[in-house]
Amino acid sequence: MRWIRYWIEYGFLKFMLGLFDLMSAAHAEAVLTRLSGLYYALAVSRRRIAIDNILKAGIASDYKEANRIARRSFRHFALVVLESLKSGEIMADGIEHHIRVSVSPELDRILKDTKQGLIMASGHFGSWEIAAQLVSNVKPVAGVTKKMSNPMVNVLMEQRKPRNNFHLLPKYDRENASRFLNVLKNGEVLALMIDQHASWRGILVDFFGRPASTHTAIALLHLVTKAPICFGYCWRVSPGQYELRAEGPLYFKPTGDKNADIRTILETLNRHLEKAVREHPEQYLWGHRRWKEEEFVRSDMRDQLPAAAK
Amino acid sequence: MTREEIGNKLRDLMKAASPKQIDWNSMTEQSDIAALGFDSLSILDLIYDVQQGFKIEFDAEELTGVRTVGDLVTFLQGKIG
Repeated sequence: MRWIRYWIEYGFLKFMLGLFDLMSAAHAEAVLTRLSGLYYALAVSRRRIAIDNILKAGIASDYKEANRIARRSFRHFALVVLESLKSGEIMADGIEHHIRVSVSPELDRILKDTKQGLIMASGHFGSWEIAAQLVSNVKPVAGVTKKMSNPMVNVLMEQRKPRNNFHLLPKYDRENASRFLNVLKNGEVLALMIDQHASWRGILVDFFGRPASTHTAIALLHLVTKAPICFGYCWRVSPGQYELRAEGPLYFKPTGDKNADIRTILETLNRHLEKAVREHPEQYLWGHRRWKEEEFVRSDMRDQLPAAAK
Repeated sequence: MTREEIGNKLRDLMKAASPKQIDWNSMTEQSDIAALGFDSLSILDLIYDVQQGFKIEFDAEELTGVRTVGDLVTFLQGKIG
């Protein structure tokens, strides 16, 4: 039964991708916008999660405003899909005509230094696919991706990912520590998202005022390699126009208190992500269950919660 | 520090960093580090603990090729001097 489902999923996805390949970027945007509206209407659970997250983050003070932002957020992510499929067409006249870049002179130097590795933190915000493509024009970029359960869909998506100097490492792979270290040793960018729910693997760090289980690897990589960290984000200014900004480079000295050192780094990165999201809340993935507080009530992470939350 | 002292301190650090419940008294120099519960994330914890615990600096990629506890003890002997 499972393989029948796999074939159906693969067939449907291949058909849809083929359709989008035949459309112009403008036409594909119109179709995806409508589909996102339909999905927003039908995906009751995701919609509720998004609205709840927006209200609890203090981004909106009432349901109507939260609903408006959530709807635009769903639309935004349909456009992220478009960018993934059509970035070559969107920026056929040269990526430099579509992106304004704002980085410090020190970070610019690091990006151009072929021997200096860089850890780039980001979140599910804005147009990260565009950001990865832009940065990979300057310095090779390695990102991390979770393999899909359907192996045929996985191969299909792998074939469509832009290559150039951008490659993906599998998530939760036993060899990842050495792979990450090699990326940095080779003077490349290691791009990691900081806003994925880390479950028991992470530590609780406040994100928009609520504890969220956060992966520690990015902080540990910086502490053990001393590779500079930056927080990078790219948002859509208007159709086909983007702005990429990166805060940093950031350096944190180990104190010997590992948990405190990790927490300091993750809190700093979360503050940067919060700031970016507050500026453009409709470009954040609000429909994701970032804060899974019910797990903490059951699990042995309970002792990390502040007393008021228990 | 003698090799034995390094090994004993390393055992304590590994016990604190590993997410796996094992009999640490049965750890020997032939023990495979990965078999002691260190995956791609917790190995970074261990590297931090070793750098801070032994108060030494090294590039994490210098550990390429280190597979067993004995390999790591030898590496640390070279760094501590």
